[in-house]
Amino acid sequence: MSAELLRMDNYLAQSPTQRARANSGGAATQVIDPVMLASLDEAWAEGEPDLVVELIDLYLGDAPQWVDAMRTAAAGNDARVLKRAAHTLKGSSGSLGIAQVAEACRMLELNCSESAARVDELFQQLDREFATARAALAAERMRRVA
Amino acid sequence: LRVLIAEDDVVSRRILETILRKWGHEVVTTLDGEEAWQAMREPDAPALAILDVMMPEVDGLEVCRRVRELSGATPPYIILLTAKHGARAIVDGMEAGADDYLIKPYDRDELRARVQVGVRIVELQTRLAGRVRELEGALEHVKQLQGILPICSYCKKIRGDSDYWQTVESYIADHSEAEFSHGICPNCYETTVQDQLASFRASLEPVV
Repeated sequence: MSAELLRMDNYLAQSPTQRARANSGGAATQVIDPVMLASLDEAWAEGEPDLVVELIDLYLGDAPQWVDAMRTAAAGNDARVLKRAAHTLKGSSGSLGIAQVAEACRMLELNCSESAARVDELFQQLDREFATARAALAAERMRRVA
Repeated sequence: LRVLIAEDDVVSRRILETILRKWGHEVVTTLDGEEAWQAMREPDAPALAILDVMMPEVDGLEVCRRVRELSGATPPYIILLTAKHGARAIVDGMEAGADDYLIKPYDRDELRARVQVGVRIVELQTRLAGRVRELEGALEHVKQLQGILPICSYCKKIRGDSDYWQTVESYIADHSEAEFSHGICPNCYETTVQDQLASFRASLEPVV
C-alpha cells in the first residue's frame, strides 16, 4: 500500500471526533468548536432529527433571555441575577462548543460584584461575542438543513 | 435503567438526555431541583439520578440531602454534575449524600464509565434487597416455631394459636415447610410394639 493510501486508510478508520480534531488546526479562531460539533454528531442517534440543529434552535431560543437578563442586571448592579444568568449561559455555550461566549460568561460570573464600569466592560465583550456566535450558529444551521 | 436528570440549562439537558438514551437508558427529565425532588419521592422513582449542583431554588446538594432522608429498600445512586472545582466542592457533594461527582465540561466516556458503576451498584442493591426479603419471609416461619409452646404432658398435643390442641406433627406441618413420614424407632419397638405384636399373634392362635 502506498504512503498516500495508508494515510487515507488511517483517516477513514477515525471517528468523526478524531477527524475533526485532526482537521481543526485553526479551531481556536473558529466560533463553534468543530471537535464539539463532531462529538455531538457522534451522540446523534440514527433516524432522529439532526441533534446539532435541534441544539442550535434550543440555544438561540433560550440564550437571548439570559443576555437580556445580564444587560438589565449589569445596568442595575444586581450581582446575584448577573451571576446566575452568566452561569447558565456559560453552561449552554460550553455544551455547544461556543468557547468565546462561555469564557465571556465565566468572566462576568467571576467579576459580578466588581465596579459598574468593569461589569459593563465585560458585558459589552459578552454582547459582541454573542452576536458573532449567533451569526455563526445560524450559518451552521443553514448549512445542515440545506 | 431509569435515570433521572436534573439540569436547568436547556442545551446541556438535551445533550445529556440524548446520550443516556443512546446508551439504552430510560430518561426522566426534570428542569430544576424542586421537580427532581418531587420525582425522587414517587414510589417508582428512578434508581439513578444525575443532578446539576447549581440550580435555582432547590440546588442539587439539597435534593441529595432530602433523598437520603427517605427510607427505601434501595436508595438511588446519585451523581452530581457541576462546574465547581476543588476538593471542598467534592467533599460538600459527598457529605450531602452523593455517590459520585463529575466536573463540567465532562468527558463523555468518563460519564459512561461512572454511570456504569452506578448501574452495577443499583443492580447489586436490588439483588441484595430481594435476598433480604426472602430471608425475612423465611425468618417469619422460624419465629413461629420459636418461643414457648404449651404441650400436653400426657398425649404431647400442642395448644395452637387459636387454643386448639393439635398433634405435634400437625402443628409443625402447619407452621413450617416440613412433611412427615411415619415409622417406629427401635426403643418404641422394643418397649411397646414387640409386646403388642406378641399379643396379636397370641390372639390369632386357635384355642385348643
